Amino acid sequence: MTDAVSDLSRAIPKGTSLDTPFRLLCGAAATLLLVALGGVLVSLAIGGWPAFHKFGFAFFTTSHWNPVTDVYGAAGPIVGTIVSAILALAMSLPVAFGVAVFLTEFCPPILRKPIGVAVELLAGVPSIVYGMWGLFVFAPFFAEKVQIPLMSAAPPGSIWETLTSGIPNGSGVLSASIILAIMILPYMAAMFRVLFHNTPPPLRESAYALGATPLEVVMSVTLPHVRRSAVGAVMLGLGRALGETMAVTFIIGNAHGFPKSLFDSGSTIASTIANEFAEATSDMHTSALVALGFVLFLITFSVLAIARALLGSAKEV
Amino acid sequence: MTTSLQSVEKALIVEAPAAETIKLETQDLSFYYGDHKSLHEVSIPFADKAVTALIGPSGCGKSTLLRALNRIYNLYPGHRAEGQIILDGKDILARGADIAGLRTKVGMVFQKPTPFPMSIYDNVAFGVRLYENISKAELDNRVEEALRRAALWDEVKDKLKRPGTGLSGGQQQRLCVARGVAVRPEVLLLDEPASALDPISTAKLEETITQLKQDHTIVIVTHNMGQAARISDYTAFMYLGRLVEFGRTEQVFTTPRAKRTQDYVTGRFG
Repeated sequence: MTDAVSDLSRAIPKGTSLDTPFRLLCGAAATLLLVALGGVLVSLAIGGWPAFHKFGFAFFTTSHWNPVTDVYGAAGPIVGTIVSAILALAMSLPVAFGVAVFLTEFCPPILRKPIGVAVELLAGVPSIVYGMWGLFVFAPFFAEKVQIPLMSAAPPGSIWETLTSGIPNGSGVLSASIILAIMILPYMAAMFRVLFHNTPPPLRESAYALGATPLEVVMSVTLPHVRRSAVGAVMLGLGRALGETMAVTFIIGNAHGFPKSLFDSGSTIASTIANEFAEATSDMHTSALVALGFVLFLITFSVLAIARALLGSAKEV
Repeated sequence: MTTSLQSVEKALIVEAPAAETIKLETQDLSFYYGDHKSLHEVSIPFADKAVTALIGPSGCGKSTLLRALNRIYNLYPGHRAEGQIILDGKDILARGADIAGLRTKVGMVFQKPTPFPMSIYDNVAFGVRLYENISKAELDNRVEEALRRAALWDEVKDKLKRPGTGLSGGQQQRLCVARGVAVRPEVLLLDEPASALDPISTAKLEETITQLKQDHTIVIVTHNMGQAARISDYTAFMYLGRLVEFGRTEQVFTTPRAKRTQDYVTGRFG
């Protein structure tokens, strides 16, 4: 009898006793994450509710933002966020693509490492440094060498004139977009590089073996092969640009309302919150800022969700 | 055309193709991966409109040799070839040789199928479009002709617009053959083209290769002795980066002169 019992216990692997606690712990960790995510979302929604309730849809469609009269319309920061992020993406994308193609197709081995390190270093610069550099170094340069020449060259009455109107002080929506573009460049370049690098060598070789040139190989074979993942990488870059706070706060000019031109001052959701939260005295002001946070959360969340969906289904191609 | 017979005396050249039928040949070809020398002065003649099989144990250099013949190794820094590779009397290793042009003359099919991420039709038309400006009707004809040559036409003629990646492994490999022959290369390099295929697909591919021989010079690397014996006219046995024996296939398989060749083809090592 005792023999049978001891035989049975020997048949059970030693780790079995830890199996259940281990599984519970891991499950708890995962649950904690979900609870935190849900908690943030719910508290943002609750905190922003008074503003949503009072202003209704006008919160999204009007750009009148006035803490003195306690009237808040967030269209300015919302549009500023989206416009600056998309402009940044448009500038950053071709460069990131070029860096990645250069590193995978043309780069002499001796340069591959230094350029790779430079890309990583660029990614490691704290955003406040970008902001300060943007304000103190980039903005004066931009005002003198780009804004003023462009404005004085604009034919009267043209779209060009409209786009370049404003005060040429170096800050504004376009300046913020350029700084953002520099900030998201290393992330996108690194992601593209990995994508191109992971393209099966025989696939590239097959195209070269038919006499294709590097441009033809990249455009017809490599890029289509990674297209879904590439869109995902772009979305991740966009997600970063949408949420970036400090650098943008430094250089976007921090004016509420719609920016009237590329050089005009504007604001983003993140920069508005950063600027005003410490000084928000009325409950409605605080609520309006929390509501802005909620909107940003939703925008970023949907962009990242799309990115995940695209990256996740990359294997199907 | 010069022959390579003097320079390959070290290896056993039992029966070389007649000099006037040689389309392509390597002369004292050495190959380096960085500092590592993986081919040692290999000289092999490849007869026109015939199949030459490169056999030998893994790491013997047969794939390296094949990859030198269209200079695909050029994609990788540190890979370099020395010696000569003569195609139609011209040294393709010479400085200033037109590499992209060379590759339109020397096509290649890889070990695993590599359909491009595009439709079946576009896959086959890919190489043609790179170099020729022809009408839609002519292109249609070229695509059909290539697919027929690769014995794939009947299976795909109703779904030319579907993605090439949706085909079975064997069909994908024949698609790659079609893509290769569509540009009308003079030489076709096949790097273990059947190694990832099931027996039925392999039989179809072998049939295709036999057909293609009528118009192309074919060099095939294979691990499958039976395959080499079935489809090739000449066989080169390589070992440790050196050519050991070269001759007509039936001679190499039935009366090998070198002890090592005999051991390998009879399955005693490898």
